[in-house]
Amino acid sequence: MNNDTWEIGGKTLSSRLLIGSALYPSPANMEEAIKESEAQIVTVALRRQSAGEGGGNNFWNIIKALNIHVLPNTAGCHSAKEAITTAQMAREVFDTNWIKLEVIGDQYNLQPDPFETVKAAEILIKDGFEVFPYTTDDLVVAKRLADVGCKIIMPWGSMIGSGKGLMNPDNLLAIRKQFPELKLIVDAGIGKPSHATQAMELGYDGILLNSAIALAQDPVKMANAFKYAVEAGRLGCESGVMQERAFASPSTPTIGTPFWHQFK
Amino acid sequence: MIKVSINGEIKELNENLNIKEMIEALEYKQKGFAVAVNTTFISIKSYESTTINDGDTIDILAPVQGG
Repeated sequence: MNNDTWEIGGKTLSSRLLIGSALYPSPANMEEAIKESEAQIVTVALRRQSAGEGGGNNFWNIIKALNIHVLPNTAGCHSAKEAITTAQMAREVFDTNWIKLEVIGDQYNLQPDPFETVKAAEILIKDGFEVFPYTTDDLVVAKRLADVGCKIIMPWGSMIGSGKGLMNPDNLLAIRKQFPELKLIVDAGIGKPSHATQAMELGYDGILLNSAIALAQDPVKMANAFKYAVEAGRLGCESGVMQERAFASPSTPTIGTPFWHQFK
Repeated sequence: MIKVSINGEIKELNENLNIKEMIEALEYKQKGFAVAVNTTFISIKSYESTTINDGDTIDILAPVQGG
């Protein structure tokens, strides 16, 4: 196992995989997949609940029993005001100042609204939140988020739930190069373990995903695959990837090659 | 009686109820929810000092799965 540890939001963690809790075939499957992933951060949400409904409590009891860090989201919010209110409600319910800030600007591709996201982030940080903002791979938006005090930035790989992987690895790399001091997490769009490895090889600090595990034919086995994929990418990044070359170069020694030019 | 929207449903409540009294009237037995009135968060410590008015929009949210 990897002995790598890192810090985020004031916590020291050994896993760089952040996992969602939605879309699993059953609560038991969710619980098993989260355990198998060895993720130490799980995302959760808040929704309307009528009196007498016990579903939320059952879910929350499972998550609490896992004894890992909870990252509430503001999914479904379309304005800074909605996101701020949701974050304040989440802080009370989940007893954490962490918030995954999502302010959606387009309902079709669930692209975040950069203007409302930056506005909400600034207010939430002043209110004592540790903001994990979901954003696009736009460098200038990342800069604005850093300017208002975000220590963590979570650019998308591609659209939420699309499984398309990293649409613009060069953009993600530019953000990494520009902000070596920030914690960067690729959030959304991951479909395969190799996508997670690729993002980690770019130097990202972690991966947040949900659908790729929950919608796999075997979510528990896929959780295991992503655990190793994230570790492999991190180790690859730390090891220093070789320089690409535009020409072939044999790996086996050429000196002593048999049969060389014998019959010319 | 006053009419308010609670989680998107129109309901009738007695006048001059505070949030704590409203929750009791609605028979919310479980714990672990948070309340917003007219999209403004109301913390637990403000339940008794916040009066529900006619036409208010109230959201009561609880934990669910999320990505």
